[in-house]
Amino acid sequence: MADEDNLIKVVAKTTNTKETIEIEPNATIGQFKAKVSPKFNDTPVAQLCLIFAGKILKDEETLEHYGIKDGLTVHLVIKSANRAQQQAAEHATRQPPSSGTSTTPPASNPPRPSSNTPTPPPMFGGLPPGMGMGDMQQMQQQLMNNPEMMQQMFENPLIQNMMSNPELIQQMIMSNPQMQQLVERSPEISHILNNPDLMRQTLEMARNPAVMQEMMRNQDRALSNLESLPGGFNALRRMYTDIQEPMMNAATEQFQNAQSNPFSALLGGTAANGAANSNTPPQPGIENTSPLPNPWQPSSGGTAPTRPVIPTPPTTSSTGSTTAGSTTTSSAGSSPLASMFQTPGMQSVMDQMTQNPELMQNMMSSPYVQNMMSQMAQNPELMGSILRGSPLFAGNPELQQQMTAQMPMLMQQMQDPRFQQMMNNPRAMQAMMQVQQGMQNLQSEVPGFFAGSGPTPPTTTPSTTPSTTPSSNNPATPPTTTTPSSAGGTNTTPATADPMMSALMSQFLTSSMGQTTAPETRFRAQLEQLTAMGFSDRERNLQALIATGGDVNAAVERLLSG
Amino acid sequence: MSSTQQADLLLKKQLRELNRKGTEGFSAGLIDDEDLFKWEVTIFGPPDTFYEGGFFRAELHFPKEYPQKPPKMKFTSDIWHPNVHKNGDVCISILHEPGEDKFGYETASERWLPIHTVESILISVISMITDPNDESPANVDAAKEWRDDYNGVFKKHVQRCVRLSQENL
Repeated sequence: MADEDNLIKVVAKTTNTKETIEIEPNATIGQFKAKVSPKFNDTPVAQLCLIFAGKILKDEETLEHYGIKDGLTVHLVIKSANRAQQQAAEHATRQPPSSGTSTTPPASNPPRPSSNTPTPPPMFGGLPPGMGMGDMQQMQQQLMNNPEMMQQMFENPLIQNMMSNPELIQQMIMSNPQMQQLVERSPEISHILNNPDLMRQTLEMARNPAVMQEMMRNQDRALSNLESLPGGFNALRRMYTDIQEPMMNAATEQFQNAQSNPFSALLGGTAANGAANSNTPPQPGIENTSPLPNPWQPSSGGTAPTRPVIPTPPTTSSTGSTTAGSTTTSSAGSSPLASMFQTPGMQSVMDQMTQNPELMQNMMSSPYVQNMMSQMAQNPELMGSILRGSPLFAGNPELQQQMTAQMPMLMQQMQDPRFQQMMNNPRAMQAMMQVQQGMQNLQSEVPGFFAGSGPTPPTTTPSTTPSTTPSSNNPATPPTTTTPSSAGGTNTTPATADPMMSALMSQFLTSSMGQTTAPETRFRAQLEQLTAMGFSDRERNLQALIATGGDVNAAVERLLSG
Repeated sequence: MSSTQQADLLLKKQLRELNRKGTEGFSAGLIDDEDLFKWEVTIFGPPDTFYEGGFFRAELHFPKEYPQKPPKMKFTSDIWHPNVHKNGDVCISILHEPGEDKFGYETASERWLPIHTVESILISVISMITDPNDESPANVDAAKEWRDDYNGVFKKHVQRCVRLSQENL
């Protein structure tokens, strides 16, 4: 029956392409799909959906059953990966002897007891390094141990704002070039990222700690079950090499490229610590059980309390840390925090923050941030490294030195309750911003004014870019903080508790964004886009872009609503 | 030749042609092979619209008087659209019986003509999906959103039904 002569030609047609498939007329739809898959970039069979005569074709039926004859055309729809994989997984559990048609996808997809929720760990594991958020896994662990903090964090409007905007998250992820490469290499991941609904679902889930915890538990159990199956470990390893490792590599690659990256320092620290503690340098194949380092710890440190031990996947983490270990010394000078502030994602958050004092206040009152602040305050070295890493001071050793000298004072000020009060007061923050802006104007108008009060004024000339945000450096201000009395004398607003300090802080916020360029330049591409879309008022466009941190979609919405 | 026979012949011919040459943007066939008067179609969400990626299923019920009288079209998938009733009924001028212009909006040429086929109907419906007519909305809420908050609530609602349609594949 299945002679060569009896083959029929059926056209499978998507919206863009057409392929002719030769097949026996009595073949099942499942068999047909197996032949369709190689012609469409080896799309997994589970993702293929065939429609003929208005009907969705079922795998177990035959072509004959649907009346599909030689020369007829069948519509082919390629579904998004994740859902299809879930279906494949469900399918696999229902019919254990696989028909031989489903090939790779289940291997990279761990069986999940709660099959209607996406897996967070690969995303969370991969996403944060890309964002430059340092050690998210550790943070996650901390959060897990402290659901209250987690909840508070997610109730924080800033986070919620971020969370409710999958595009922002996507943008954060995609801003990492290695991540982009990774996504290009594995379409499955891109499906996750490009599916805003899935992202939103994941984020919503993350907002609910109970669900999250349950998910993590399920995942752990599933993994350990899988491991005890014969051959299960190999599947696990494949999963890691297919997904986790590329993500990890993407992350570390970037860290090696950009020396000012948190992770290289962190991983370098691990390697060094591991060697010191156990005299066994990490080797591939040996499980790395050393605790993941504390991102807020100074690079030379060792005094910070030990964190919970997180056993990392055997193959990946050890390779990750060994490669990164080679860069330890070179990256020692850079600061994890500073580079965190330099990521585009963070920049847009910062941008939003400066636009919106309320957000700032909310952020400041969140316990996580307060914790971070107090850690910072207790740790002058960390501050020092932030300063060194900040592009603001990078090219200016003199200024750096001055800053370092002032560090202890600065620390004191930060611990001052008045200062913290100020941080919690939106109007104070706003005033601070204004002071900062005023100082800047003053500096550019009368450059010699501050020269007398501070020691050696730095050689850099104040930026005079016509920027609307206080983004430029104000070099003469910091020196005055060394002598608070004279600062009080020169400053016209003695009412504020620590005017110099606040100026410095707001400088931090703005300058650590690494945006010393005018918004016109920064958002040039977006501006052009808006103009092309028919928004002709350049000034309004620019305002909208500044307000939305360069997000064109959000800017359009703003323009239309305003 | 009775009118039923004529309808039979016409529909049979259309079915054969649609299957043979393949169609753009939709797929159409009979619900039950024995009944030429009940068709089911799957419309693919038109590209570059919020509906892109959706698979909207609908049924066409032809009267015995076809082609003198138009079929009725009803979406069986949820679709959020100004010209589709919440129960799925499609409100499009070419499916309105000639002379029945109760609202005074449509000219005779916009209404049903015996020359319309399954294909021409579906092409019109796809065009309607892409470009809603908000003068005679069937789903007033959708029309309001479409006018007032196209990129906001309207988009959200449409994307929801796109997602649902994918899940129901």
